[in-house]
Amino acid sequence: MEFEKSLFEAITTGNKDQAQRITEEAIADGVDPEKLVNNCMIPAMDDVGNRFEQGELFLPELLIAARAMKTSMALLRPLLAKSGARPAGRVVIGTVMGDQHDIGKNLVASLLEGGGFEVIDLGFDVSPQKFVDAVRENSPEVVGMSALLTTTMPAMKSVIQELAQAGIRDSARVMIGGAPVTQRYADEIGADGYADNANSAVTLARSFISRTP
Amino acid sequence: MTPRDLVIRTLEFDSPPRVPRQMWLLPWAQLHYPRQAEDIQRRFPDDLVSSPGFWAQPLRATGDRHRRGISVDEWGCTFENIQDGVIGEVKDPVLADWSRLADLRVPVERLTVEVERVNDFCRDTDRFVISAVCPRIFERLQFLRGTENLLCDLLDRPSELTELIGIIHDFHLREFSLWAGTDVDALYIMDDWGAQRSMLISPALWREVFRPLYADYIAIAHNAGKYMFMHSDGYITDIIGDLIELGLNAINSQIFCMGVEELGQRFAGQITFWGELDRQQLLPHGTSDEIIAAASRMKDSLHRDGGLIAQCEFGAGANPDNVRTFFEFWDQPSES
Repeated sequence: MEFEKSLFEAITTGNKDQAQRITEEAIADGVDPEKLVNNCMIPAMDDVGNRFEQGELFLPELLIAARAMKTSMALLRPLLAKSGARPAGRVVIGTVMGDQHDIGKNLVASLLEGGGFEVIDLGFDVSPQKFVDAVRENSPEVVGMSALLTTTMPAMKSVIQELAQAGIRDSARVMIGGAPVTQRYADEIGADGYADNANSAVTLARSFISRTP
Repeated sequence: MTPRDLVIRTLEFDSPPRVPRQMWLLPWAQLHYPRQAEDIQRRFPDDLVSSPGFWAQPLRATGDRHRRGISVDEWGCTFENIQDGVIGEVKDPVLADWSRLADLRVPVERLTVEVERVNDFCRDTDRFVISAVCPRIFERLQFLRGTENLLCDLLDRPSELTELIGIIHDFHLREFSLWAGTDVDALYIMDDWGAQRSMLISPALWREVFRPLYADYIAIAHNAGKYMFMHSDGYITDIIGDLIELGLNAINSQIFCMGVEELGQRFAGQITFWGELDRQQLLPHGTSDEIIAAASRMKDSLHRDGGLIAQCEFGAGANPDNVRTFFEFWDQPSES
């Protein structure tokens, strides 16, 4: 419990050195890594994400929290794999073709990881075919797409169409986001959801998982 | 009345006979709609223009940053671009590793401005002239260090960050002072401080680190009798009050993502809103009626015997008919 409390604080304040030290001590003490993740690390990132969404925290605070979380997760991941622990879900994510703006997408990916998801990040300027291939290869529950330009938003529709043509549209829920993107646009192109910030993307992905049979 | 007088009366809230206008024509529009762009420029000439740089020595930049491929700017930042007509992104920042900080070279060629040529340019136009110099310290830090690194640095505060800010700011002060000695009407700064619904960094952090730097720039402008203009993308409502306190005269911002009416209630009459019409939804997707309604909202909310410049960006995705409709709206005498 003491480890959980102090690691929670280290992550929410973005203190990666402290997060590393506490995680190492917890491992040495035989703490169950899955409990540490579920009872401490995910709640810590949720706390940060919620405060970001409420306008209490900003991108720098979010980034250093995610950095601290990743530092701990890197130490725990081998133990989690050994114990057979499963991620909260799997997400394939990328910035669509023609668009190289990836700061927002990277942030969403970080928060998803912090939320316990396994994230397959395809990077930026990702073609529809690459999304299709990644879905086939990884069988994610969620596909996330980002676009910053009004001129690249239509590529989101192309991805959805190609997933449908490949016969795998229903295998994953599609969520989209990015500065010019709206719920209306998501509805128009047949996406399953729209998130207007990084934290709500995590909430949306979770809602998809809970509805996945 | 000349366009210059018109802009000055706008900045002074001195009941200009009409709202001044300016179209920001971006390379994307020049590539995709050259005829329409030319037509709009001919029918609605800008009341404000930017001075050319008039550098005696060429800047050490390579490549065309608006074309697909690689370009390197005068600070040595490499931009990768995958779309013609827009500016690319820095994917491999030169100072991702601080060890190269000592090698950073400031673009001294920018200090070789031929002042007489700038002054000739100002003398030969009846339009309001904005300087070619444009400090963008937050963006420059991002280009050099990488955005995510920089945002973490702003909380970690490594000594190298302080040093880097000092190097860039000192250079900008030299460059700004030089332009303050020319006959331009206004000096200009820019930085994109906003995301869609909030600032990228907290207003408190902005006030601590960046407000003092902006105070320096604005002081140079005002001490030389120049107006001060600024551009920022995104939601920046939280710092507009600060910018007004510092004496900023005109702000170009995404007023529709902040709420035109709220901005009007809080700040109209204290600063000139230099546009802009929404380029995320209205310009690409809006109907003619929606464009007219949006322009009316701008006028009703922000115009107080001046204090408003009708500006919009003809850039990526914009419908040329909507750009034209916007400027047609303003082509009438001001009622107030």
